[in-house]
Amino acid sequence: MTTPAVTPSVQTPPLPQGAGGGAVPSTAPARSGQRDGGGSLGTFGVKSGLAQMLKGGVIMDVVNAEQARIAEEAGACAVMALERVPADIRAEGGVARMSDPQMIKEIVDAVTIPVMAKVRIGHFVEAQILQVIGVDYIDESEVLTPADDEHHINKHGFKVPFVCGARDLGEALRRISEGAAMIRTKGEAGTGNVVEAVRHQRAVMSQIRRASVMNEEELYVFAKEIQAPFHLLKETARLKRLPVVNFAAGGLATPADAALMMQLGCDGVFVGSGIFHSGDPAKRARAIVQAVTHYNNPKILAEVSENLGAAMVGLTIDADLKGGHLAKRGW
Amino acid sequence: MARDGHERVIIIGILALQGAFAEHQTALQRLSLNRTIDTIFVRTAEDLDRCDALIIPGGESTTIALLARLSGVLEPLKLFVKTKPVWGTCAGAILLSQAVEGAKKGGQELLGAMSITIARNGWGSQVESFEADLQVPGLRDPVVPFTGIFIRAPVILALTPTPSDHSIIVVAHLSPDLLPSALSSPDHSAEPRTYVAVRQGLHFLTTFHPELTNDDRFHDYFVRECVLPLFVGVS
Repeated sequence: MTTPAVTPSVQTPPLPQGAGGGAVPSTAPARSGQRDGGGSLGTFGVKSGLAQMLKGGVIMDVVNAEQARIAEEAGACAVMALERVPADIRAEGGVARMSDPQMIKEIVDAVTIPVMAKVRIGHFVEAQILQVIGVDYIDESEVLTPADDEHHINKHGFKVPFVCGARDLGEALRRISEGAAMIRTKGEAGTGNVVEAVRHQRAVMSQIRRASVMNEEELYVFAKEIQAPFHLLKETARLKRLPVVNFAAGGLATPADAALMMQLGCDGVFVGSGIFHSGDPAKRARAIVQAVTHYNNPKILAEVSENLGAAMVGLTIDADLKGGHLAKRGW
Repeated sequence: MARDGHERVIIIGILALQGAFAEHQTALQRLSLNRTIDTIFVRTAEDLDRCDALIIPGGESTTIALLARLSGVLEPLKLFVKTKPVWGTCAGAILLSQAVEGAKKGGQELLGAMSITIARNGWGSQVESFEADLQVPGLRDPVVPFTGIFIRAPVILALTPTPSDHSIIVVAHLSPDLLPSALSSPDHSAEPRTYVAVRQGLHFLTTFHPELTNDDRFHDYFVRECVLPLFVGVS
């Protein structure tokens, strides 16, 4: 594994920022398209800007238009359209690919909130297809079977923004260097077990805290150690947070899980199998939405956690985990 | 509440249920004003009670409205907007409007403070989101264009004030070349679709996101034009 070439993809203003949950710095326009009359399409500003609009929100996995409507009614700020939720991918096995564009279009037509969809790591043609059918965000996701075991997609060339998973700061900054406008923890999708998401978020925050007190000589060494582009590491150290929005994902199943990730500094959460594999999806979805808003208010968290019915059955994460350790995918 | 012995601190709330609320706080904190303002995040009716003015940020309007209802802030908000200055950006602009096209199935709740009909998501999906320079005569340094960041932005379809309403002032236009070609409302004239920042009495809306830039002139405009005049001579 090599450190990616250094490209100045994110420029940020000289503002002190708090860790997690705070303001995300604005970005200088990196233009990738022109509209007649002078507007610029697909700038990094509009790509990362949509992620900023999703903050404090819950993005829910849905497999059809009916689930998408339930998610929208429950207050989802976006939906992730996919054919099988991670728990089913894990149980059924086989190669998991981009979903049928027809199914994604039905979901786009059913709701007014942004629609995301997943492509396999490195599969830039699946990404070209999703861009042309008009999805609002692409998740280059380890939950699907990787199409390239060495390269991720060069995301700068797309007008549609990308979110990518990360287990630590180095991985997050490599993805941002490739053009990702939003980061999420990988967690361990489809397990209903939040432990890996916690591990990944703590790793990112701990490394940011360490970097924030380093001088420049130390940052050069740290960049080499974590295989991150130096300029992005330096910017992250100065901001004391990732330079793009950072969500939690992978194994969240309860309102308390969502609030835990928010208190650990995430800007919002993805919930995959945890909603539609539970006893009462609409009620649980709404409770998780409230938990993300009121993540610092234990009294409200207690209220919304009552009587939600059965949570999804969780899996312990050990060497025998059925479907394997998805978080290890990604380079 | 007295500071410096006489002047009360003016509290500007930012509705913090979902969306880009932190960015508004950062922008407000950068302002240099001759009155002391403080900012708070509003998540409950008690928070709202403390506010002299409010910003409703960008986010998802359906999510914000639902959370407002579930958090018991929706009815207090409806009362608040009747008498206090409020600025809505993007989703906040939708919430301030009287009528919305392209609402979610089954409709969605609005605060209805401004005599405006607005269409959600007027340009289409995210790949149509864009940045464009705006010439805004009412701002400080008006010769410097303002970078408007339009993200799945709404479009104003019609101004619908009755004679008893405050008149509507258009603060910023978008070049007509940048308008979406297909909007499903042949009964409205095209002109209002170019309006991207409008003011009516104490209320102000922008369909784009000044909080995503480092340019604080719209925040300065809201505070100076809509908020501070209410406190002239008030201690």
